[in-house]
Amino acid sequence: MAKTGFDFEELLSRVENDRELMRDLLLIFKEEFPLHHQALREAVEHKDVVRIESEAHKLKGMLSNLAAHEAAEAAARLELLVRSAETSEFQEPFAEFDRIAEELARELDSCLAEVSR
Amino acid sequence: MRILVADDDVVSLRLLQKTMERAGYEVTAVADGRQAADELCKPEGPKLALLDWVMPELDGLGVCGEVRKRKEHSYVYMVLLTSKESKEDVVAGLGAGADDYLTKPFDPEELKARLRTGIRILELEDRLIEARDGMQFQATHDALTSLWNRGVIMEMLERELVRSNREGKSTAVLLADLDHFKQVNDTYGHLAGDEVLKETARRLLSSVRSYDFVGRYGGEEFLVILSDCDPAFSLTRTEEIRKAVARLPFQTSAGAIPVTMSIGLLISQEWGHRPMEELLHETDSALYTAKGAGRNCVRVAIADSPGADRNSMEAEAIRHRR
Repeated sequence: MAKTGFDFEELLSRVENDRELMRDLLLIFKEEFPLHHQALREAVEHKDVVRIESEAHKLKGMLSNLAAHEAAEAAARLELLVRSAETSEFQEPFAEFDRIAEELARELDSCLAEVSR
Repeated sequence: MRILVADDDVVSLRLLQKTMERAGYEVTAVADGRQAADELCKPEGPKLALLDWVMPELDGLGVCGEVRKRKEHSYVYMVLLTSKESKEDVVAGLGAGADDYLTKPFDPEELKARLRTGIRILELEDRLIEARDGMQFQATHDALTSLWNRGVIMEMLERELVRSNREGKSTAVLLADLDHFKQVNDTYGHLAGDEVLKETARRLLSSVRSYDFVGRYGGEEFLVILSDCDPAFSLTRTEEIRKAVARLPFQTSAGAIPVTMSIGLLISQEWGHRPMEELLHETDSALYTAKGAGRNCVRVAIADSPGADRNSMEAEAIRHRR
């Protein structure tokens, strides 16, 4: 089971202890993530598999870079589900992603506060 | 070292950009594959690239393919960065022309180490190009004077004669030989003799136009090709070249040495379509005449005509004839 939220230590190592950069990345994420999250939600509602795959892929990359492993894995599951073509029902895995994403959003501000200290 | 970073994910792009800047790279950051390919294909574009696989406009594979196709003369080292990680993906990436492959999220130290490999390859390429250019220069130039060597200047003469015939223009062919060069070597030594040859080359080059050709034909003999040279001015220009050598003594490590040269001149338009070897032979005969006439002068090769005695014909006569 992946660690929930952001792995603060791993992210700090990834930015080579540059807290200013880490803060920049989290602020970009704060702005960008809701847009892609919403795009994914709409794609799932419309069962638009091409868009689900592309948005899930983009979210997976963004979340991996920020060491948000649980959320990245949830996005990866959605992407794989489209690729495997086993189902056309994405509501359940999206709901799982949605739940994790909301937790992540709640954690973001405390993470920003932590990095600004 | 310049590097191009291409990623449509702003988080990833910012992270890559900062990581590369901190490692000392000069970074060009772009958000799609089309911009990436255009930047990399510029003549002075970055030679190192980090490319995301999935991008709008043109994906990472497309960028690799386009760069390999469009940029033939200098190498770009490209690393694909992506979260795709199946064996098929790796094969497709490398098959498209990528040099290396790294999965996201990347480890900064591993990324920098991979790029150092790329830099080693690029440096090796630079050394190979330098060596090739050096060998090409050696193969085409005279080692002492750096003028075109005999083989190359002959090829150029052949080409120029064909071209001027085709275009109805005239080429002036000059065979120039330093006077009493053996005495220079005997009196001042071979080192000074070499200096005289080098200074002669310099003076010849500074007396001709950028699109004329000067080569070392033999020991102290030079072949000069004046392209598209109006026959009415060929003699005047040849005289200027002769004077450029004779005007001031050559300053050498053995002291100042007065140097002159004799020149045989042939104006191609007056000879029509004749083999190059024959024209060179005629130019050489004119040079021989100049030597016989007391040296430090120009003599013109006169095309065969009834009553013409080329060996006694004065160069001035050509000028008067026009």
